[in-house]
Amino acid sequence: MGLLTDPSAGQGKLTKALLKYYTKLCVLLYLGGIGWLCSLAYTPMNAGTYFSENALLPGLVKSEFREDGTARTFHDELLDEMKKYDDSIPYPWLLAKFKQIGLDTYTHNFTLHYPLGKPQKFTGKNVYGILRAARASSTEALVLSVPYRPPLSVHATTSPSIATMLAFAKFANKEKYWAKDIIFLITEHEQLGMQAWLEAYHGTTCGNEGTLNHGDIKGRAGAIQAAINLELHDTSVGQVDIKVEGLNGQLPNLDLFNLAAKMLLKEGIPHTFKNRPNKNLRDPVKDWYYSFQTLMAMISTQATGIPNGNHGLYHRFGIEALTLESVSHNGKAGFLSMGRIIEGIFRSLNNLLERFHQSFFFYLLPSSERFISIGLYMPAICLIAGALFIKACANWCQLQESQIQDDSEEKPKTETQKPKAKPKRKEPKDMQKFWKDMKAKYEVEVKSYKPPDPDSINFVSILFAFLMTHVIGVLVMNSPQLLTMLGGQYDFSTEVSLFSGFIAVSAVLLLTPLFVPFKSCEKSMAVLNILSLLELGTTLICISMNNFSLAFFCAVIYVPLALIVGVTRCRVCSGIKKVVWLVAHPLVVLTVTVLTYTHVMFPGEKLEANFYRSLAATQQAIVFSIIDSMIYGNWLFSVVSSIFIPNWLCFWIVAFSNIQPNEEIPKKKID
Amino acid sequence: MPAEKSEKYVENRPEQRCYKTGTILLMYTVGASIRYWLIFSRYQSIIGNHIEVSTPLNSWKRVSEGLYLQSKGINPYEGDLLHEAPVTMLLYRTLTQSLKLPVEITFLIFDIGTAVLLYFIARRYMFQLFVQQEESKEEYSEDSKEFLLAGPDFLNSPVFVAAAFLFNPYMVFNCVGLSTTVFHNFFLALFLCSMLYGSILLSTVSLAFCTMMSLSKIRAFVTVGVFILVMVSLKYISTVLSNGDAFIKNVYGFILTVPDLQPNIGLFWYFFTEMFDHFRDLFICSFQINATILYLIPLSIKFRNDPFLLTTAVLFLISVFKSYPCLGDVGFVLSLLPCFIHLFNYSQQGFLVGVIFLITTALGPILWHLWIYSNSANANFYFGVTLAFAIAQIFLVTDILFAYLKREFCLKNGKDRKIDGKDALLILE
Repeated sequence: MGLLTDPSAGQGKLTKALLKYYTKLCVLLYLGGIGWLCSLAYTPMNAGTYFSENALLPGLVKSEFREDGTARTFHDELLDEMKKYDDSIPYPWLLAKFKQIGLDTYTHNFTLHYPLGKPQKFTGKNVYGILRAARASSTEALVLSVPYRPPLSVHATTSPSIATMLAFAKFANKEKYWAKDIIFLITEHEQLGMQAWLEAYHGTTCGNEGTLNHGDIKGRAGAIQAAINLELHDTSVGQVDIKVEGLNGQLPNLDLFNLAAKMLLKEGIPHTFKNRPNKNLRDPVKDWYYSFQTLMAMISTQATGIPNGNHGLYHRFGIEALTLESVSHNGKAGFLSMGRIIEGIFRSLNNLLERFHQSFFFYLLPSSERFISIGLYMPAICLIAGALFIKACANWCQLQESQIQDDSEEKPKTETQKPKAKPKRKEPKDMQKFWKDMKAKYEVEVKSYKPPDPDSINFVSILFAFLMTHVIGVLVMNSPQLLTMLGGQYDFSTEVSLFSGFIAVSAVLLLTPLFVPFKSCEKSMAVLNILSLLELGTTLICISMNNFSLAFFCAVIYVPLALIVGVTRCRVCSGIKKVVWLVAHPLVVLTVTVLTYTHVMFPGEKLEANFYRSLAATQQAIVFSIIDSMIYGNWLFSVVSSIFIPNWLCFWIVAFSNIQPNEEIPKKKID
Repeated sequence: MPAEKSEKYVENRPEQRCYKTGTILLMYTVGASIRYWLIFSRYQSIIGNHIEVSTPLNSWKRVSEGLYLQSKGINPYEGDLLHEAPVTMLLYRTLTQSLKLPVEITFLIFDIGTAVLLYFIARRYMFQLFVQQEESKEEYSEDSKEFLLAGPDFLNSPVFVAAAFLFNPYMVFNCVGLSTTVFHNFFLALFLCSMLYGSILLSTVSLAFCTMMSLSKIRAFVTVGVFILVMVSLKYISTVLSNGDAFIKNVYGFILTVPDLQPNIGLFWYFFTEMFDHFRDLFICSFQINATILYLIPLSIKFRNDPFLLTTAVLFLISVFKSYPCLGDVGFVLSLLPCFIHLFNYSQQGFLVGVIFLITTALGPILWHLWIYSNSANANFYFGVTLAFAIAQIFLVTDILFAYLKREFCLKNGKDRKIDGKDALLILE
């Protein structure tokens, strides 16, 4: 209680220290946050992975899979069959094989109504078989899925993984120990098919209604506990990469990752994370740098919020899932090892007594053997966002201080106005008369004159401006369909009409400060600044709970810029601040990010070609983020348009504060 | 209301800095239309299903289920579905079935009615403040005169109170989510109003209604005799209405023994989920004592001169510590705060509390989603947030109470807190 009741905590030394040092403190917090995250890649700062769920019993599995010959036959047959279907899935063959093995076999049709531009329709078909568990009543299930890729697909083929899956299905169907149904799923159209199947399985829609018509499925097993997505590109496997990043940055339980890593290790196949094998370098600096690169690779994938494999779509349904992808194709391992790995993973999952709940759901991986838990990485974002709160707090104290100063300045005036001596009131005997007198006095007092304060804070206007920017944001969020319709009338492509539409909207929005009535009121502007700082800080913390990497990227970019913007009296500073804040516009940030990325990815290219390539990439990125939000329920676009753009506008208004330089009190400036 | 820049002030009265009736009416209209729009939009069910808004005690779903059972001649208190008192069930039945009012409109009317009552509460309280100020003006030291409320301040505070209720997101969600806390707040406001206007009968009747609805308000009462009489008669009516005492177990027993551990923004569910069963009785007792009578006596002694502040503080503590709190309880007390506009200068934690409120309000639903829907976070995350929320409320109420004491001290001893030329510390004891 001392903290609450100690008056020195408020106006005392702490406030003074805060007002004096807050700029330095903000810089320190910002750098501290970045430094914290960087240092987490250093081995002594993070922890080794371990199995938290005892029920998995990964060490007890003795592999019995010997169906590699069958797998090879399946593979040859499949290759022959695929030649007949250039651009679609050879489902009669797959159905026949599933049935031959003895599974409950179903197909699933889905339709996509392309939401932007001209009405277009795409259809697809998934095939799946269910192995009914011998020892349980279809209440729980595991999934082994493979995305089917026709010969014309731009992606590498996955036919070896289908062969492995079929061979494993044949093997598993003979075993009697299964306590969970196993669903063998082959999806079409990459993530679209996966999403449609999951939606149909659970009977929900994640994106906009009417965009992805998920259709209906006839056969179900119980609640899905875990899923493995298999992507083998060749019959011989040198290295397997484990992919975990899912939709909106969600990750599977760390135990599942550990399980996959352990099984790969057991079979002697080298595994990698982010295509980087584990190295234990002697030199601590090199070791740190190597882990740091892996960590940054994970953070940049997670930050996009786009799943880097079909596993990423399971997560939002509460299903733990990851992708095993073969990367190097000149290894010794083949169908036998892969089959044994799948067997090991599924038999361990079969041991589970309850769904994954131990271990970690929020983590970062600097290598596949070490992890950084949420308790270790949250301080990084809290420090950076803390800088915003500190600045807001300092501005608030400044505001109050100036208020107190104003009051004391006014004091002599009011005192001379007031009558000095008041007639003493006698003890009232007549209560009614007393109340009557009081009422009369009150009426007079209420109507008495109090000089209006021209510099007072106009909360109503501030809140109105704040709300209006957010209404604009919501309008922007709902604008894509309108923009593409408008663009379509002039025969622009979806990409171009969206990109130019957003640029036009942003250009119009640059004019908002013109409509703000309190531009010349320093205190009102300071309040708006505080509100915006608080909103940005809160948003960053909220995002970090869902997708730490995205929040971290946003924080690294936005916090220093937001700290610079503020109310100022100096004209030059104000100009600089406007330019700085213009750079922070989400559209500019996106373009610059893509430009840098393109430059890194295509280093040899001419600058001009590079520029056009990145421009096209930016346009596509916008379209993809909108489509993703409509089909998969990716919230990146919604958050940017409904929170970041309004927030940007609020700061933009603050940067346009038009305060008359005041000679009398030149020192009293806010930031 | 834009602050008009006045030229150097002139002797004949320029425009007042207070709000005109038109502005106030507009405010009420806007507040009502926001609620109207939301209540008929597709967001209604999303808001109504949030555990922050509706608890087992106040969810309209349960009430409508109970009403249906009653209409079929089944005693709704036989299961553990309904936790509303029979008298209030009668009220809902009259409103929705006899008067044929649409449910949403009923909620809207009562919510706006509460806002109107709050306006009058604040008006009356400001008048009382003025009277108090006039009475003890001689006792105040000379240099503290500037801290006294003057002129239009008295008229602005009620407007702020109404605005704080009408545009408070918590209150909007409470009304839109159709939680019966709306009715409860109405009777609470009626009680406060009649208390301030000195009508003993009305205040006791409304307090009895409040108590019927949720037991923990019992400690705010002022006049015992009439209260007990009304209580007993209400109880008798309840018993007649529901043919039997089954409701007592399901209404008051439910509040006191906390059998439903569905998470909410309070502190009970987490502790009692974790607890071994044989300690349950002990901790139920200590938690309930904490929520009801622990703070009542010391606060009553310290703040006996300002019963309204005392009532508000007590309501605040109830909304933190009661067994099934919801946003409607918190929002109601928060919207009373502008009554104490004279204390704001003395409070210190305002910014901190505001920031915690902001962050916890934003994080709460997110962590709930991560826990329940994404299956990635867990109960500890959500409880952490509700704990921070409760702490913020406690900070706020302590701050306001301490500000009151500081103000009293400053008015009597001058604004310079100095003893022998050194800064003195004020300590709350």
